[in-house]
Amino acid sequence: MSAATADPAVTRWRQALVDRPAIALGGVLVVLYVVTGLVEPNLFSANGVRSTLLLACPLAILAASQTLCMLTGGIDLSTVMTANFAAYVAANQSGQGPVVALGLALAVGLAVGTVNGIGVGVFKVNPLIMTLGMASVLLGVVTVGLVGDGFLSGSTRLLPVLRTVASGTLFGPIPNNLVLWALVAAALIFGLARTGLGRAIYAVGDNPVACRLAGVRIWQVLLAVYVMSALLASLAGLLFSGISGSVGPDQTNAYLLPSVAAAVIGGTSILGGVGGYTGTILGALILTVLNRLLLALDTTEAFRQILYGLIVLALAWVYVRITGQRGT
Amino acid sequence: MSSTPRAVAATPLPRPSGRATRFRRRQGWVVGVALLLGVLIFWRYSQIPAFGPFEIRGIVAGTMTLALLAMAQSVIVISGGIDLSVGAMMVLANCIAARLMLEQDLGPVVLIALAVVAVAMVLSGLIGTIAVVSGVPDIVVTLAASFVLSGLALIVLDSPGGGTNPRFQQLLVGGFDEPLPATLWLAALLLLIWLPFKRSRLGIATYAVGSDRAAAFLSGVRVGRTRVIAYVLAGFFSGMAGIVTTAFTGSGEPRASIGATATLTSVAAVVLGGVALLGGSGTLLGPVLAAFCLSLIPALMLGLGWDPNYAEVARGIIIIVVVMIGGLVQIPRRSR
Repeated sequence: MSAATADPAVTRWRQALVDRPAIALGGVLVVLYVVTGLVEPNLFSANGVRSTLLLACPLAILAASQTLCMLTGGIDLSTVMTANFAAYVAANQSGQGPVVALGLALAVGLAVGTVNGIGVGVFKVNPLIMTLGMASVLLGVVTVGLVGDGFLSGSTRLLPVLRTVASGTLFGPIPNNLVLWALVAAALIFGLARTGLGRAIYAVGDNPVACRLAGVRIWQVLLAVYVMSALLASLAGLLFSGISGSVGPDQTNAYLLPSVAAAVIGGTSILGGVGGYTGTILGALILTVLNRLLLALDTTEAFRQILYGLIVLALAWVYVRITGQRGT
Repeated sequence: MSSTPRAVAATPLPRPSGRATRFRRRQGWVVGVALLLGVLIFWRYSQIPAFGPFEIRGIVAGTMTLALLAMAQSVIVISGGIDLSVGAMMVLANCIAARLMLEQDLGPVVLIALAVVAVAMVLSGLIGTIAVVSGVPDIVVTLAASFVLSGLALIVLDSPGGGTNPRFQQLLVGGFDEPLPATLWLAALLLLIWLPFKRSRLGIATYAVGSDRAAAFLSGVRVGRTRVIAYVLAGFFSGMAGIVTTAFTGSGEPRASIGATATLTSVAAVVLGGVALLGGSGTLLGPVLAAFCLSLIPALMLGLGWDPNYAEVARGIIIIVVVMIGGLVQIPRRSR
């Protein structure tokens, strides 16, 4: 709006940032990392880098779910419950060997995503409500399964392969899970930019009516998005369990809002059609470093929460300011 | 080609609809929810041999917090936004109230309650102002705000505690077999706060802004101011929710997860209550009735001898199915 009256140099500068939000985010990340490093010098060591990447990975994969859904104008509030459920199933069935256990965990994601996708795509249920209801159903299923001689009762044992993948070190500052993360990121960035489905995802989020008139089968796009979202969520759940070395029915719940925040900070519009996974990666790294900084400051939990909220808000505000991408 | 439902050309003049049609269109959903609630209450009634004032008070007083949060959420949703901080606001109000009210007389306690509600209105108005000024989508602003508010609640009260005046409790949520106070308070808030607001210019502006922000702006509605006022009103309701929680439980509880769960349930109640998430339609009565339906489900399950954990499953399925049915009902209306 006000960009029209600004002088051309500023406008050009701003346009560059709009086109490449990753530059600004990268700058924020570097500054934040240095500031945190001053408080906690350990962060500059190989081990510090490793632990940052290690913790950012599952958050970034959860945020990938949100990025995909938000690009279509939706949101997925059932990701964390899917993650918990999948991790629990894998640990519970680990006696049957890693292939079966991991297969069952991903099957959980596939089932949840299919139901979500059919609800949102075919029955046009608002995604917020559909996934909220799904989260509620999953919470109930997990709780019921755990009670007495339910299907999830019995011993849980973490798959050794998960522990290796999720918390092992490849070399120096590179944790094993970075490889997995890099694969996911490459697939998403390439897929969103270069494939038909990727473009359809942006198009559906930008203007569903035009999409329908252009012959895009919107329900198929949405189904694919929610299935991918739930599969990514189960993957993130497995990684979380590998890092923490345990499983719990509400293990990842605290990561729901940060995963949305990571996508938002990364410049993906919650209104759909704008954004991408590159920004989300940086958003997840920023939040992880921020968390580290707040922990290093040795403040109370209360103060940390307040700062966290304020910084997320400030980043979102600055982003909207710079790009002029205001909500309607 | 001409099968597009939004053909612009040659729109026939709208025929004036009859009183019955209008009622069905405007209030049909609320009547439906009320019927559902009636069925659920009757079911509960048939489950318990001695269904009396004690049971009714338990239901009404126990649901009041959720009902108030559903009202807060509805106001924001009607104005075209969504507020993910209502639950955290409720927790904050609960903590401030419980801390200050501990071992006070009735007079000061009432003053504290009023002050806490005022604080909630100011904070919520501030959140709304930030959303309007920054242009960041509501969902993001209120998400961030919910972190800040839960942090503040932890500063006020770092562990469960505090207290309130027993007479104040009796006044607000009634004794163990007095269903009247809680019911009257809810009815009074709906009739004396919401109804006049809805009928005022501000209320109409709120619906207009929620329905189509650009059109409202072009019609001379002050969009920003209207949205901020909607937030202030929502702050009033969530502040009240915190006070009611204090009166009902007699203490303060700063856990952030309580706020998060309450927020999500309030969204569910709003949708079940027939307030479209797109904004601009619905009333507050529907979500209040829906809140009662949602909180009756666990009790009913328990009465059936089921594992009450199935209540979560049932709640989720009911929310999804009702919204699906609602979508199917609305499709022919939209394409007309």
